[in-house]
Amino acid sequence: MAGNPNVRLRLANRPENVLLVRQALNGLAETLRLDALELNDVTTAVTEACNNVVLHAYGGAEGPLEVELSAPAGSLDVLVRDRGIGIRPDATREEHSSGGIGLPVIHALAQQVELRNLDGGGTEVEMHFTTSSGRSLDVPGNDRRPSGAEPSDASPRVAALTVAPAPVAGSVLPRLLSALAARAYFPSDRIDDAQTLAETLLTRIDDSASADEHLTITIDVAPHNLELKLGPLESGRASTLLSSAGDAEDDAGLSPLLERLGVGHEVALAGAGAGAGETLAVRLADGGRRG
Amino acid sequence: MPTTATNPAKRSSNAPNYGALDNQRTLFERWQTHGESAAREALLERYLPLARSLARRYGRSSEPFEDLVQVASLGLLKAIDRFDAERGSPFQSFAVPTILGEMRRYFRDSGWAVHVPRGAQERALKVRDAQERILNERGESPTVNQLAEYVELGTEEVLDAMQAIRAYETVSLDAPRPGGEDESSSFGDWIGSDDERYELVELDATVASALGELPPRDRLVLRLRFVEDLTQTEIAEQIGISQMQVSRLLRRALEQLRTLTGAPTEATR
Repeated sequence: MAGNPNVRLRLANRPENVLLVRQALNGLAETLRLDALELNDVTTAVTEACNNVVLHAYGGAEGPLEVELSAPAGSLDVLVRDRGIGIRPDATREEHSSGGIGLPVIHALAQQVELRNLDGGGTEVEMHFTTSSGRSLDVPGNDRRPSGAEPSDASPRVAALTVAPAPVAGSVLPRLLSALAARAYFPSDRIDDAQTLAETLLTRIDDSASADEHLTITIDVAPHNLELKLGPLESGRASTLLSSAGDAEDDAGLSPLLERLGVGHEVALAGAGAGAGETLAVRLADGGRRG
Repeated sequence: MPTTATNPAKRSSNAPNYGALDNQRTLFERWQTHGESAAREALLERYLPLARSLARRYGRSSEPFEDLVQVASLGLLKAIDRFDAERGSPFQSFAVPTILGEMRRYFRDSGWAVHVPRGAQERALKVRDAQERILNERGESPTVNQLAEYVELGTEEVLDAMQAIRAYETVSLDAPRPGGEDESSSFGDWIGSDDERYELVELDATVASALGELPPRDRLVLRLRFVEDLTQTEIAEQIGISQMQVSRLLRRALEQLRTLTGAPTEATR
């Protein structure tokens, strides 16, 4: 895939995470106005590729499942990566039999498929889908975020999303968040709150984002709790988001919304050193409504 | 595992002398070279689960499931007719694209894409009604799982429906068609876990006998998942283990089945 992807997901290779990939795809497809039939093909193929990582890549153990989506004009490119065994790169369409029917399905649905071995272990499946959608996303430039710590893969509970340009998050994050909130047993009205929070947060970020900004959001899920972490952001940015954008008189920033929704928040340094930037963490509980 | 000699009596009376029934290549030869329709039927029967399984993939549409199965079966027939057994590649890798191609053609011809939003709208309405009803009955908003159970849809469909509700909140949706028995209600929970089905359908007819060799709990989990069509979560609740354990059990049981049936290693066919 040339250049940086528009959406990058880093997940654990758990079966339930394949749903997150599909939700991200659905969200992106909505933005691109992808034809339902085309989306169905993409979803089916990508699901197969992800299932392969879930079932076979780590020989029963856990490891990362990485998915990258790019939408240059007239196409949708999807890359599914593992750091384990993955699909045997020497497996051709005809020969591949041990990986189930996944690969034939992918070959049947994508216009172009490439399998690659990664140095140091792992496999990439790159799928190219031609779409009739007139919409496309800018190819993001190099990541100009502060050099803070990359989201860690330490906890399999954490889903990490990186998007560029930043507004792409608007099509992907709300869906991801709903799926994760559902997993955390949130009641549906609280899922609505989570979506409102995400949408508001992203709107405010869009207002202040530079064109080629990459935005990273990690979501930590535990039963009845979600923690959303944004960043690394430039130093001072998180506080600006929270308090006030300054121009509008009645704009008090995010704080009133956070308070109304009962959301805890915290600004922290993203790492050591001056250039590391900061993160904004917001914590949402299901409100204790379910005893 | 039964040997080939124990089976033929059960088979079609048109084929009294089917000593090599298990030999897939022989079946293809009998049909393609000698025009024995019984051999074709045997192949069709063997791979019908694959066609059904692929039809299921598209089953979230408003299209009646049985129609999709018909189309998939037609694709399967075409694949059986055209497959070149001499090339030594597995039949599935040829059949899957053929079946999917047939289904896509059908969808285009029948304007299926046009119907999809309608199905989505109906589901959104159903979910919204359920949300309100449960809130009224129980005094608290339902979780997604509770909603899924209530409207008999998968979690993912409920999530999509909720997204649609949010998007169309101000737009009035079409009135739902009354009383539709939703085919999709039994399609598993779509959390990426329906895909074990694929593994299962690949293991052809020998599965039934191999099942007997599995430990009772594995058998139970397989039965609940594939015969009673319960979701992993439901199975977990029923037998009192976690969903992840169910997932692992299923994976292991399928792996064992693979070994027991010798599938799909080519050398054993």
